Amino acid sequence: MNSHPESRPYEPGYYKYKLHVPSRPPTWWLRNFKYFLFMMREISSAIIGLFLLLFLYEIFLLSRGPEAHGGFQESLRSPGFVLFYVIAFIFALYHSITWFGAVGRIQVVRVGGWKVPPALVTASAFVGWIVVSAIIGFYFLGGDHV
Amino acid sequence: MYEMDRREPFWWGLFSLGGVIAALLVPVHIFIHGLAVPLGLVEGQVLTYEPMRALVGSAFVKVYLLGLVALPLCHAAHRVRFTLYELGLRNTGLPLGLLCYGLALTVAFVAAYILFQLV
Repeated sequence: MNSHPESRPYEPGYYKYKLHVPSRPPTWWLRNFKYFLFMMREISSAIIGLFLLLFLYEIFLLSRGPEAHGGFQESLRSPGFVLFYVIAFIFALYHSITWFGAVGRIQVVRVGGWKVPPALVTASAFVGWIVVSAIIGFYFLGGDHV
Repeated sequence: MYEMDRREPFWWGLFSLGGVIAALLVPVHIFIHGLAVPLGLVEGQVLTYEPMRALVGSAFVKVYLLGLVALPLCHAAHRVRFTLYELGLRNTGLPLGLLCYGLALTVAFVAAYILFQLV
């Protein structure tokens, strides 16, 4: 009795026999542009994670009073932070575009007996993204929270 | 005979949900908190201490922000784990799954604590 061999193929000691893993230099993703884009998509998740940690830190500073929080917000105007947020924004957009671009291929949507064409599913995802972004922008930047 | 793996679907589910949240909600939040507010792209004193404190005071916003932070981190944990394998850290004996998901869950708990201790 064992779990499916494909389910956890990377865990050390998982197989009874030594697994043949074709060797590959760690720079394999620089070999062509498609591999490079694949790696950028993977890395986007870590950069988004960094942004979320900074954002969480800003929320934490709310408990430390207006000076601490204001000081951090002030430091966000420095070129280093601005550059980071521009890069993070581009990576986040890239994640969204690849994610919603795949939705039409992955998710089959049926309305009654009609199978919605994949292009329409993808288009709806993009429209939904823009609408949700606008609502969040309006809510957070609306300024009538006090 | 195979036994169903009951662990992987759970983590994959978090990966998938986190991916949706990251795609849907994160770009606009990076724009708001990283660019629009610091660079003054919007009029007035938006999201300074008082308004932000008032915003996070609502239970709905707390839950929303917890999801916004925690779920994409689980997504990132999954991607980073497999990227490290792809970069050659396979068969090194490192418990990468435990490290990545463990880190994401730790930050999720810290986030919950930070959000819910704020009144």
